[in-house]
Amino acid sequence: MSKKLDDNSDLKQIGKKRDVKRKTLPALAMAGPVSLWMILFVTIPMLFIIYISFMSRGVFGDVVYKFSGESYRTLMDATYFKVILKSLRVAVFTTVLCLLVGYPFAYYIARKPKETAAKLIMLIMIPFWTNSLMRLNSWLLVFQTNGPVNSFLQWTGMTDGPITFVYTDGLVVLGMITNMLPFAVLPMYSSIEKLNKSFLEASADLGANGATTFRKITLPLTFPGIFSSIILVFIPTLGIYTVSDMLGGGKVLYIGNIIKNQFGAIRNWPLGAALSVLLIVITMLLIFLYTRFASIEDMEVV
Amino acid sequence: MKKILALLLTMGLTLSLTACGGGTKDSGNDAKEPAAGGEEAGGEEAGGEETGGEEAGGEEAGGEETGGEEAGGEETGGGEASSELNIYMWQQYISDELIANFEKENNCKVNLSYMSDNADAITKLTAGGGDEYDLIMTCDAYMESLVAGGYVEKINFDNIPNASNINESYWTAKEYCVPYLMNYIYVVYDKEKCPIEITSYNDLIKPELKGQISTIDGARNLFPIALIALGYDPNSTEESEIAEAYEWLVKFNENVVAYGNAEQNLTNGTASVALTFDGNASWAMAEMGEDNTLAVADFKDDAVQLGFDLYVIPVGAKHTDLAEKFLNYICDPQVMASNLEEYPYSCPNEAAVEAASDTYKNDPARNFSYKENVFFQEDVGEALTIYNDYYQKLKVGE
Repeated sequence: MSKKLDDNSDLKQIGKKRDVKRKTLPALAMAGPVSLWMILFVTIPMLFIIYISFMSRGVFGDVVYKFSGESYRTLMDATYFKVILKSLRVAVFTTVLCLLVGYPFAYYIARKPKETAAKLIMLIMIPFWTNSLMRLNSWLLVFQTNGPVNSFLQWTGMTDGPITFVYTDGLVVLGMITNMLPFAVLPMYSSIEKLNKSFLEASADLGANGATTFRKITLPLTFPGIFSSIILVFIPTLGIYTVSDMLGGGKVLYIGNIIKNQFGAIRNWPLGAALSVLLIVITMLLIFLYTRFASIEDMEVV
Repeated sequence: MKKILALLLTMGLTLSLTACGGGTKDSGNDAKEPAAGGEEAGGEEAGGEETGGEEAGGEEAGGEETGGEEAGGEETGGGEASSELNIYMWQQYISDELIANFEKENNCKVNLSYMSDNADAITKLTAGGGDEYDLIMTCDAYMESLVAGGYVEKINFDNIPNASNINESYWTAKEYCVPYLMNYIYVVYDKEKCPIEITSYNDLIKPELKGQISTIDGARNLFPIALIALGYDPNSTEESEIAEAYEWLVKFNENVVAYGNAEQNLTNGTASVALTFDGNASWAMAEMGEDNTLAVADFKDDAVQLGFDLYVIPVGAKHTDLAEKFLNYICDPQVMASNLEEYPYSCPNEAAVEAASDTYKNDPARNFSYKENVFFQEDVGEALTIYNDYYQKLKVGE
């Protein structure tokens, strides 16, 4: 009886060993480095941020390791509420514009033969090979008061004096869009490319015109791609601070700028951490929504 | 096709992550940089001076007043001369040639690391990691707290005879720091493009200047100006006065086109008025050359802010001997004079200013009459929170 049991457990152990060899080891080899990287450089720092957000601030701007809900109480202040609202507004605006510009382009590429499509996608990616700060600086140069755009406008006589383009909200949004467009185009492209053409033909056969087909067939079927685009554009836009710093002239502050200031010039780390936590919560909510709407299959391109 | 796409995407993602990820990981990056440099230093160090350093530290713990100087003397006399010097300072603020010459003369390697904000240096000094450096640049406003907190070493001025060239009248915390360059924060404007003449801070909130001003940023740079305009102490700790200053700054903010980049904004015509450092004004005037229409505002009564960038030796610095040699070197009139050619800022080293070229001496950016009518940033203690809150409110607007 007891021997049998032992046999059984031996068998189980052998089975386990085989499983380790067949499944666990390859899985570890494949996912291990990434997991380790993520744990070391994402999870642990994030936990530390959450921890700090519950600490208090010393007189000299240092973190005092004593529990306090002060930072979260400060968050309730109308000032921060306004900033968050403003950041959300800009993020939504940028996302919508990116979709409006990106969708037709993605559609156009997806209808091209594969080789042409690859070339067209390259065109979108090439600007991304330069640093984003350099791209932002180039916008400043192009639009500055004695820059080429103003010179052209005055030369054609469209305006009398130079127009101030730099350091306006308009230029900030332009900068955001140029930074984010590829993230909007690529998931939508993959989604549209996968669209089965026979659905469109069937729709046409059944008498639907182009607009109806688009509304009833194309749009719903490519929705997961659109949703990926929304997430990929919206989340970074919410947190980015370089664009508003450079193109907004430091006059317009978004939540990213405020966080940067708390960790930098103002030196209130707990508050900065609390704001970061808030941003993480917003992001998580969006991801949760995403998993609800889009199936995993469509995430593969992301 | 898919593979190419995936590859492109990952590339794009990583690129963009490095670009916008800077936001949340800023402090992390800062922390990494010195760590890399520090390891190097630690490695080479291990054999030589480690023990000497510990000794000095021990003695200091025993009795700082009595043993302090002795410990310093032993370190330079007894141990071998250091071959490496780690400096943390502003970028674009010291001549490469000066550094190269110093390296040649002392047969050593100077490692420069750069800060992006005054707060970075304070973080280094107070949150640990300051001992990775031998010299850290900070400014006069922080000296009181740094000394009180015991974050900086006393400097042995016996090894820095050239320090006598420095004008002592504004030298605060004299035992702990060596002033390098100084900055006036004043108003400079374009005589042709600016619609009004500016003779006081209150002129800056006139509606005629809407969208015309390019200004420096920072709570402790902006609020003192408002406080002076309102007739208060620039380092006020009264909440009611700071609140009034905030109201003043709201009006000022309406006239501001951009924070930062004053020199570019003046030369490319975006702004006609700037509240900025004299060094930046000098750059803008030089850039405009023959057609320079910029002039320093002729203030009648209002005081302008004067700030010093200075070097301190952080507690636990490992190459104190070389740090002192470096400080002595930059206080040499000839050395500093040629540094001033490259970086034409105001300088407290009077012998160096005397030795500088005529171009430097006749710089229109430093040609203003109220050089003595200055104020300094002082430690405002707890009131700093009030300043920061109002500053945040100012920048958020609405």
